[in-house]
Amino acid sequence: MSEPRATGPGTNSGNVIRDSAMGRVPETVEEIIRLNGHVWRDSKVPPSLLEVVRLRNARTVNCVFCKSVRYDVARADGLTEDRVEMIADGYEESGLSEREKLAIALADSYLGFPAKVRPDLAPRLTAEFGDDEIASLLVALMTFNFTSRMAVSIGGMPEEPLPVTEVSVAISTS
Amino acid sequence: MTDSMTSLTLDATLARAGPAAESFARLWRSLWRQGHVPPELLELCRLTLARLHDDPAEIAVANGLLDLPPAAARRAAVVEGRALDDPAFSDAEKAALIFAEYYWIDPQSITDDVAGDVKTHFGEAGLVFLIEALGCIDGRIRTARCLRDIAVHAPEREVAHV
Repeated sequence: MSEPRATGPGTNSGNVIRDSAMGRVPETVEEIIRLNGHVWRDSKVPPSLLEVVRLRNARTVNCVFCKSVRYDVARADGLTEDRVEMIADGYEESGLSEREKLAIALADSYLGFPAKVRPDLAPRLTAEFGDDEIASLLVALMTFNFTSRMAVSIGGMPEEPLPVTEVSVAISTS
Repeated sequence: MTDSMTSLTLDATLARAGPAAESFARLWRSLWRQGHVPPELLELCRLTLARLHDDPAEIAVANGLLDLPPAAARRAAVVEGRALDDPAFSDAEKAALIFAEYYWIDPQSITDDVAGDVKTHFGEAGLVFLIEALGCIDGRIRTARCLRDIAVHAPEREVAHV
């Protein structure tokens, strides 16, 4: 494990964002916490689908912390570890639902170099998801992507996988 | 319209996501009103990411959130990828622009030296802020590109047009 390039402000508020290096930027940290809360509580898609795209992003960015976390609200919404294991190469042929597969395809479009939605994918997305759902998925992707990239950029990330751990969404939203 | 959407123009389209979109928009606006990294330099970082995304619409759009936009010569140097060799840019500015390039390629590629240079010029909080800001900028460019493609390839129902 490398040394982190920045450390938290020394607080112990119980919120993993406020107590992290992001707590060093008072101009943004509270809005980031509110954003995270709105994504999980007020999105137009269910938490299990948000967790699918969060974990797809975590896998692509290779955020060891993000990959180990399972949010309680997603599990309560029905996302099992068996289904999580399908969020991998070959997901198209897996037992995931069509909505889950399309959400992953949107995530991959967002995460690509260049970011791009294939011509054949676009009508499938709009046939499956409403405008509000696509907007919610994209706001969630932006949130998950910039926070996971933050964790990787700051450094101090373990090199080996961490054990899967269920956490309450409240640790980053209140 | 979504066919010319950019990081600077997508909030109305994303508004259908509700409170999360409103929160992201507030976070976005706050990036341009802080004391860690000069907003003009942040705009040069946005243009760096736009260049790396090879996105002409993103390069062309004017940033109305800036009180003082970059001078034309500085803007051109960044858009053409010449800034790091240009003596008109300070060491602090070059440190931020190099960091933006590493960040875009892969956060795992950021070296201690590159991050250390940013900390030297902007402090630890400045480094953290720059990472946050680059993440927001890059995410909004990516989102705009996705929405543009959806609008082009599934035009029968333009996504979230309001």
